[in-house]
Amino acid sequence: MELRENDINVLRTLRDAGGTASVEDLAQKTGLADAAVARASLTLSELGLVKEQTTRTTEVFCTEEGHDYLANGLPERRVATVVHDGGGKLSASEAVQQAGLPLDFVSIVTGWIARKGWGKIEKTSSGALLMVSENPPKDEDEELLERIGQIALPIEELPPNLKHAADRLLKRKILASKERTQRKLEITPLGLDAIPTQASVGEVSGLTSEMILSGDWERVRLRAYNVSSPVPSLNPGKYHPYLRFIRMVKRKLVALGFREAIGPLVETAFINDDCLYMPQDHPAREIHDLYYLKHPSKASLEPWKDILEKVAQTHENGWKTGSTGWGYKYSREEASKLALRSHGTALSVRSMISKDLQIPGKYFAIARCFRPELLDRTHLTEFNQAEGIVLDPSLSLRNLLGVLEMFAREVAGADKVRFKPDYFPFTEPSVELQAYKEGYGWMEFGGSGIFRPEVTEPLGIKVPVIAWGLGIDRLYMMNQQIQDIRQLFTTDLEWIRQQKVA
Amino acid sequence: MDLEDLLGQKVPRDEDGLNQMLAYVKGDVESLDEQNDSVSIEVKDSNHPDIWSVEGIARALRTHLGLAKPKAPILSGKSVLRVTIDRRLGPIRPFIATSIVKNVKPSENALKSWISLQEKMDLTYGRKRRRASIGFYQADLIKSPLRYTVGNPDNTAFVPLGSTEKMTLREIVEKHPKGIEYSGIISSFKEWPLLTDGEGKVLSLPPIINSNDLGKVSTDTKNILVEVTGTNAKTVGNTLKIVVAALAERGGKIYSCAQTYMNNGAKPVITPDLRSSFKEFSVSYANRILGASFKPAEMIRAFVRAGHPARQVSKDILRVESLCYRIDIMHQVDLVEDLAIALDINKLDPEWPRIWTLGGLALETERNDTLAEVMIGLGYQELLTYSLTSPEVFVDKMGIGHENYAELLNPKMSTHTAMRSWLLPSILNLLKDNTHVDYPQKVFEIGPCVLVKENGEGRTETRYKIAAVTIHTAAGFTEIRSCLDTLLGSIGLQFQVEPTTQPSFLEGRTGEVMSGQKRIGLVGELHPKIIRAWGLSLPAAAFELEIPPRAVA
Repeated sequence: MELRENDINVLRTLRDAGGTASVEDLAQKTGLADAAVARASLTLSELGLVKEQTTRTTEVFCTEEGHDYLANGLPERRVATVVHDGGGKLSASEAVQQAGLPLDFVSIVTGWIARKGWGKIEKTSSGALLMVSENPPKDEDEELLERIGQIALPIEELPPNLKHAADRLLKRKILASKERTQRKLEITPLGLDAIPTQASVGEVSGLTSEMILSGDWERVRLRAYNVSSPVPSLNPGKYHPYLRFIRMVKRKLVALGFREAIGPLVETAFINDDCLYMPQDHPAREIHDLYYLKHPSKASLEPWKDILEKVAQTHENGWKTGSTGWGYKYSREEASKLALRSHGTALSVRSMISKDLQIPGKYFAIARCFRPELLDRTHLTEFNQAEGIVLDPSLSLRNLLGVLEMFAREVAGADKVRFKPDYFPFTEPSVELQAYKEGYGWMEFGGSGIFRPEVTEPLGIKVPVIAWGLGIDRLYMMNQQIQDIRQLFTTDLEWIRQQKVA
Repeated sequence: MDLEDLLGQKVPRDEDGLNQMLAYVKGDVESLDEQNDSVSIEVKDSNHPDIWSVEGIARALRTHLGLAKPKAPILSGKSVLRVTIDRRLGPIRPFIATSIVKNVKPSENALKSWISLQEKMDLTYGRKRRRASIGFYQADLIKSPLRYTVGNPDNTAFVPLGSTEKMTLREIVEKHPKGIEYSGIISSFKEWPLLTDGEGKVLSLPPIINSNDLGKVSTDTKNILVEVTGTNAKTVGNTLKIVVAALAERGGKIYSCAQTYMNNGAKPVITPDLRSSFKEFSVSYANRILGASFKPAEMIRAFVRAGHPARQVSKDILRVESLCYRIDIMHQVDLVEDLAIALDINKLDPEWPRIWTLGGLALETERNDTLAEVMIGLGYQELLTYSLTSPEVFVDKMGIGHENYAELLNPKMSTHTAMRSWLLPSILNLLKDNTHVDYPQKVFEIGPCVLVKENGEGRTETRYKIAAVTIHTAAGFTEIRSCLDTLLGSIGLQFQVEPTTQPSFLEGRTGEVMSGQKRIGLVGELHPKIIRAWGLSLPAAAFELEIPPRAVA
């Protein structure tokens, strides 16, 4: 970022003032308005060229009484002078009167003359007698009073003896104090480097277009920079680190011939569960596992009327799928309830009922899903699942294993894979993918299976459909060595800015 | 280990070894307790309750490991017990199935296992006792005939399990821990289910609690009455089969009982029904699914290990028996999976599908990526925030009075109760946590929002929007408008900005972005009230747009 003239002016003035100065000082010295200095100081501090310090100071200044003494001397001084000039010995009340002070000052003045050692007091029957043999030298109280004069002085800047004097005069209400907040700027090493040096004769600091075109660059000497010194840091625009990873996974899946599917975050229970042959009283559909909507709470199933009847019958008695079905009374009311998508498999349903479905076909989705979980190190209430399907008359369980193996190697960078029987209500057979990665050991990577005929046939699909899902959140955490899943949706801008792009 | 006694063979003590073995029952070691020599297992199959007990796991492993052939549980005879069922239970909890298992004399381990099986079945297969619940009783204390009837909540009383005092049904539901837990199942009815014996003694208040006198089973109990009640006849019958089969694994002899439903006068229903089911199984169909070419004999051997006796009836057809407790077998494909497990899926050769398909990103993703590219070029950092948030964030703190948004019925946290309708609030919600971070802060997000429609398909629509915020000492309208112009200019979208007002933005510095006649978004300086509401203290300017995918070239 190019520094403006004002910025440079402020920097230079700051350096000349010894590196630190208040905004007011700078305004005075640069001749700029306070606001202009403030603006320059914000720019400079954002660039790390100056540091702002806020200091609180207590300033002392003369009260009305103080101003009187400043002009005419402290009462003890005036009385001592009268006594001295009158021969060195005088009654206290006489001396006070001659000094032009009211009589009630007698005890105060005698007290201070004694305490300051300026003279002696003798008690007689007719009152106190003051003796001052020589004119006392100027004391700290007087020195301070003169120093303050018409202005206000920060008490912190006074030498210790004058600080005591200030305390005394504050107590005597000759001085008063007020709190003041002062913003000071301090130049940083970076700031010192950023000041363009005055070009010496025949030396220029910047190359200009004119110099290049006229050939003047040959006649001048360009000032050398300190190329090793640190420069201000920048915050570039970048992808979000997790979205970068998701983009990478998408690229790999596209390269493997998968077409991306998208779908709504709010689904009917029909699409989210019924089409996946999950019985309507399945535990995963309870309010502990699925976010239902209060508003709007239901949607019309009219767009799905062709498949609704077949799905309903499949649940009840198996329809024509060769299955026994679940053997319960299917509720269209339950099916029409709206919920937040709870698994990416809902998007596989969307792909299968889409009019654009192609066979052979490969589809994938990286789906935001929602479940009623409290946030902790291992749980999010909103998370991502990578899901997909492969459709073709030729597909078998061996192809399913082939797809999983490819993912483990290509997407997760695994060294070895093995398979375990798994269970999902919508696939049979179902297989869990375990992958081995050097340094991590065996880990669970995803679930998969061949969709049950109870899922595919009511949707009008007559070929085997391989369905797979990968725990993409966990894959990313492993890749980036993140321990806490909440980090994926962190609000820490500093962290987001600092993540490497590699 | 109890499992070893039932299995008749040593089992591994290390986690990996156990996991390898438990793969046959889709089980995973959850925790190992070396001190007590016990292991806790997660069984994944939620549709396979016959393996939700040590007995069931041992039975399945015995055949898989070749230690025994599958053997159907046998009915040893009829018991004298009869049950009559009151027609008034119709709308409440109409079904019951009972059986007596004799000669059990359970060990401590056996009792522990059965109670655990009962709890798991009540919870999952019984849907928290709503669909079915199980009761165990001392058969020798009970006189036939049982009456499954209804009782008045205030006039009927008995001593519930774990108590010493007689309580009315209502007191039980209101005070007993189990009563409180399961009251929802029956409390809406005037009369509640009640099971009594021939002498009028109360056995239980199904599905809440047993009587302390009759319904307490111990290591001294020789003969056990098992009873299942519920709302679904099939579930009730299946539950009984699974429980008595588990009891029989430890030497118990199963005796049937007769249930007479008073409403139809039909002949008594005899339970349990221990008959196997048989399926015609096509060898070629199985080979097609497996991608293999196993011979019928190989398949028969694998089926036996999987617990299904099988024989060949024709060249391509096997007749496969599923024992009575295998209630998970709904379709031929379920047998194919059992076959695959018995044959070991790791022995199948993985093969990438030999089909050619054209890969590609969704149009929406292409659009999002294009927009992100330009925003990043403009120096903006991409963000990712929750789309599930709260109206406090995207309505109240934005100073807008009313918004039609998708609201959750069952939120789990007060910070996540509704789907956002726009993105800008989510970004401010992030910036508020970063006042200590270097400014200028220039950020954007492209993310999903949910819009509610009064009519129309689905009632809601998910739309991807883009929003950007610049916040620093000199942020202002011109800067953000320049970004907006650059962004829309880069994708070649024709647009105009017209003056408008919106409470989140400063009047006189707010523009409506129009593409033709269509309003596609807002641009402007944020209102100081909004900046303060988010705890921010610097000028900020923002835009939020919805750009149709096809608008992006």
